[in-house]
Amino acid sequence: MKNIASRYRLCYVRSLVYMLQASEYNINDYFAWLYRTKDFSSVEKRKYLVKSPKAILLLVVGWGFLSVITVFALWVALLISTTYGYILGTIILLASPFILAYVIVIPLFIIQMFQKPVEMAIINHARKKLSRHKALKIAIAGSYGKTSLREILKTVLSEKKKVATPPHNHNTPLSIGKFIRTLSGDEEVLIFELGEYYPGDIQALCKLVQPDIGIITGINEAHLQKFKTLKKTTQTIFELADFLATHPVYINGESKLAKDNAKYGHIIYDRNGVGEWRVKNSKTDLSGTSFSLIKNKEKLDLKSLLLGLHQIGPLAVAVDIAIQEGLSPEQVVSGVKKTKPFNHRLEIKTDESGVIMIDDSYNGNPDGVRAVIAFLGALPYRRFYVTPGLVEMGAQTETIHRKIGHELAMSGIEKVVLIKNSVTPYIEQGLKEKQYHGEVLWFDDALSAFAALPHMTITGDIVLLQNDWPDQYA
Amino acid sequence: MHNKNKKETIAVIFGGKSAEHDVSIITAYVPIIQSLFAIGQFNVLPIYITKDGSWYSNDAMSDIAYFKQPDFEKNLQRNKKLQLLFEGGLKVIKPGIISKTISIDVVFPAMHGTFGEDGSLMGLLRMASVPFVGCDLFASSVAMDKVITKQVISAEGVPVTPYVWFTKHDWDHKKSEWKNKIEKLKWPVFVKPTHLGSSIAITKVRDKSALENAIEVALHYDGKVLVEESVENLIEVTLPIMGNNNLHLAAIERPLNKTEFFDFNDKYLSNGKKRGGVNSAYSEIPAQIAPELAHKVKELGKKVYRTLGCSGIARVDFLIDGTENKVFVNEVNTLPGSLYQHNWKKVGVSNVELVDNLITLAKEHFSEEKRLTRTFKSDILNKAGGGKA
Repeated sequence: MKNIASRYRLCYVRSLVYMLQASEYNINDYFAWLYRTKDFSSVEKRKYLVKSPKAILLLVVGWGFLSVITVFALWVALLISTTYGYILGTIILLASPFILAYVIVIPLFIIQMFQKPVEMAIINHARKKLSRHKALKIAIAGSYGKTSLREILKTVLSEKKKVATPPHNHNTPLSIGKFIRTLSGDEEVLIFELGEYYPGDIQALCKLVQPDIGIITGINEAHLQKFKTLKKTTQTIFELADFLATHPVYINGESKLAKDNAKYGHIIYDRNGVGEWRVKNSKTDLSGTSFSLIKNKEKLDLKSLLLGLHQIGPLAVAVDIAIQEGLSPEQVVSGVKKTKPFNHRLEIKTDESGVIMIDDSYNGNPDGVRAVIAFLGALPYRRFYVTPGLVEMGAQTETIHRKIGHELAMSGIEKVVLIKNSVTPYIEQGLKEKQYHGEVLWFDDALSAFAALPHMTITGDIVLLQNDWPDQYA
Repeated sequence: MHNKNKKETIAVIFGGKSAEHDVSIITAYVPIIQSLFAIGQFNVLPIYITKDGSWYSNDAMSDIAYFKQPDFEKNLQRNKKLQLLFEGGLKVIKPGIISKTISIDVVFPAMHGTFGEDGSLMGLLRMASVPFVGCDLFASSVAMDKVITKQVISAEGVPVTPYVWFTKHDWDHKKSEWKNKIEKLKWPVFVKPTHLGSSIAITKVRDKSALENAIEVALHYDGKVLVEESVENLIEVTLPIMGNNNLHLAAIERPLNKTEFFDFNDKYLSNGKKRGGVNSAYSEIPAQIAPELAHKVKELGKKVYRTLGCSGIARVDFLIDGTENKVFVNEVNTLPGSLYQHNWKKVGVSNVELVDNLITLAKEHFSEEKRLTRTFKSDILNKAGGGKA
């Protein structure tokens, strides 16, 4: 009853518009949320509706529809003016929020009709401009680790070259197209992340970007909900390797699926090396990661502020490309030294009580999680691992989360903080299966966990925040 | 251990008619209320006492943001005042169309200064026969008066700096006599109101011409003033202590304030930055002092805690003459701001553990008190008023 009543609250229209916005106006994602959600009373938890022109238009449409239908219901009731008329009017009124959930997407189709040609024009213009651009173009595809690799490459290559990359994680044809419009023409290296949501996405982006070098960072269950099978994910991501044919393609050997699909001529990289470069003396702790890269008689002693041995592979790729692009060993060492954790990716913050917070809230893929648990497990402090679990794992949801539970149990991490939702019980199940000896702490939502953690920790504790749980997965 | 079957209700009382009213709100939330919520095993009832002494409680008070609203005092007036009931412990009645009576299991006082930390609230809670966190009536009231504290602890052989004290009446009527007494002290001197905490209205006086003004300032806040010798080459340290019979010491902490003494601004407003209660960035924890001094501080701290009969938690402040390595006890604070949680964290006690331990200690202290015989049968009434001898 409470759930049904939640559709009649004043915030209902706003909740629908917020969710469309949170789903980036993806109708499929919106409907998936709509069918999953029962209680519409508190949808805006992690973020709030940004009143963009599109959002305002949808709010107007929503309230306009409800107003019209209310008038219509009254008109029906008064026109018929019998018991049946009143019942019919009431039914129309009661049904209106249910109908509104569908009506509200209609403006999006109309907007798209006008928007599509404009977008195509932007993309075509970008394609032409980029085909004339002389910069080295590097494209990065993969289920995870794209932004990290982009930032590493940018930092290292910037020691000598003028490097440009799309801002944030802009990785769709339109956002890349808009970025290309901003190029001045004198850039020497352009680095693109290629986003994959459906088969053909990477190929379309390759046609736009025309890369000279490709990097496949790994393949796993991220976005499995959209791809349905890992085979489709692999095929889509390998569209980059197919497009590049004889051009260099780096493939992360630490990702089994990526490695298994690598072909002759592809360059495998991992924590042991890349191409002919071999890694020695690797070490990681809270101050960063250090290692030596050795090729024949050449030796580079490298130190990065990035955390975890899994960072060595991507760093080695950057070194290999940098050397080939003419950077001196000193420039390479200096560039690697400047690589540091970026926003919400194993980013360290120490609060005034001396509690070390590692923010890895943008890491929501099984491989990244595994690497981080291994890193945290090796640290000599009392550790809190906070997670709402991973989203979009499709049919693999249970298996993946139980595995996370197994890894946590075996890592020796003292406290596991779980946020209540549909997937975290599987983590608890995994913990029990491996006889976890630490403490499991439950919170209703991430915000109450964040509020409580400063009161549960002492100086020297480490708190790792793993992944975020956006409202659309509630 | 707490009763796992029934969710206990912890009332956190804060605010009050005190110069440290606002500091009390911070202490109530950071760490007490927020930690109680984090523990998740209690019903938390925030009870706010206004500056004029009215008691209120409402659900919105669960968040400190309520008190950051500029017009919260106005909003409060629309609420009905709480009523108290002493019936088998403490109960509060939230009046309304359907009034609600809430039985309190433990009270967590978070009031600094007058009418709270000075023992007034503790007296009320003793009458109500409800367990409460922290020092009892006697320790609270003695510690609230800096002069009585000095008199009590020095009688037990605890070193204190030489001092003079007088009341407003003394000063108004025999000013020159008191000035003569003060002049005999080794200068510079500190002038302090005897009952105020958070270093409010304390002045260091180097020049005799500034003395009267400093005393007037102190008398503005208090009817009794303490003038004491200052310790030169000063190392100021403080030691938070927790426990009833078995004492748990936090780290010796040294304020690294830039001003000449540890004042209200240093404690709560340093750098103008918002912080979680007492400012921890200005402190050296643990204080880098010689091991023999540290030992002396710890021993004196425990002795003072016991001498005053402290329970639950308190903080003892020390003045160390850095040249002569002499340690003096300065004062005792029976409700350290924000419980000095930043210090406890450094010695491995989280806020949750701190708050939880204090609740356990409160129950222990209450049980001990309950075991004492307070009444006995007598036939004195029969004999009174000319009865048969």
